[in-house]
Amino acid sequence: MSNMIPVGIVLLLFYALLRRVKVFSAFLSGAEDGLPMLKKLLPCLAAMLVAISVFRDSGALTFLTDRLAPLCERLGIDACLLPLILLRPLSGSASVALLSDLFRSFGPDSVIGLTGSVLLGASESILYALALYFGSVGIRKTRFAIPLSVAATMASIGFGLLFSKLFFE
Amino acid sequence: MDTVFFLLLCVGIVTGLFTRGGEAVLASLIGGAQTAVTNCVSMAGAYLFWMGLMGVVRASGLTGALSHLLRPVLRWLFRDAGGAKEAITMNLASNMLGLGNAATPYGLEAMRIMEAENPRPGVATDSMCVLLAVNASCLELFPATLIALRQSFGSAHPAAVVMPVLLSSACSTLLTVALCRLCIRS
Repeated sequence: MSNMIPVGIVLLLFYALLRRVKVFSAFLSGAEDGLPMLKKLLPCLAAMLVAISVFRDSGALTFLTDRLAPLCERLGIDACLLPLILLRPLSGSASVALLSDLFRSFGPDSVIGLTGSVLLGASESILYALALYFGSVGIRKTRFAIPLSVAATMASIGFGLLFSKLFFE
Repeated sequence: MDTVFFLLLCVGIVTGLFTRGGEAVLASLIGGAQTAVTNCVSMAGAYLFWMGLMGVVRASGLTGALSHLLRPVLRWLFRDAGGAKEAITMNLASNMLGLGNAATPYGLEAMRIMEAENPRPGVATDSMCVLLAVNASCLELFPATLIALRQSFGSAHPAAVVMPVLLSSACSTLLTVALCRLCIRS
């Protein structure tokens, strides 16, 4: 499956050749478009990652997890999944790290491992994306983007838990 | 976004002062900024690569064909997207294939074009909000990165999660699209 992307790239190159596209200069002009964005990206990333890392390292995240654990048990959600659920909207790499932890302790084919996989796959690190997307172009008034994105994320997590229950339990 | 940033930072610093002391708080603040630099540098490579590839895709007329295919959906959801439709198409296509790293540059490119055409700079347009919401619900046909991760931990059935991921992301995307339409109208 991991071969799909490289094969796709080769197909694209042949197709471009067929259409007599100047592949090298087309690549350069595309990459050049990316440069100004990179410069705007760094401050934005720094701000967001500073906030996320201090929130996680200070124990505020664990505090929140501990408070919410009883509620989760009542809803039939394993409390082991809580850190993943809370951190998923904030950071993609942190949630991959958390899922790897779950894989190590319970195995990737356990109910927890499978449910965690679905949660990771079915949702997105949206707060991070919001900061990045809006920050990179200097949007101050975000209108209905944040409430709508939060609703979408909650729907993703809810449906993810529901379908995991149906499939794996 | 200001509120989110403020809350995360303040709650984090105050809790950190009580639980771990000032030195550890400072270390984790600086650590966050350092991760940003490492991330940005490693992203820069991926970013230039995918943007370059998009240049080739664009020059061979493929994005045109793809947006043509998605045009009814795009016209319905991204009415004021203008010249950003191409980048939006690529962003959505990469997301559907579970290529998060490829989706981000296209998303940012779409934002840049939309902001350049924005009649009210600094205020998000309908299309910008919809783009983020659809990214949040994240319709995923094939979670490539996730399967690779499961494989690397020795899963016997790495692809067992494809169906539930597809179903739950389809349901939440439908819900989100409906909500988007409501928000655009009002």
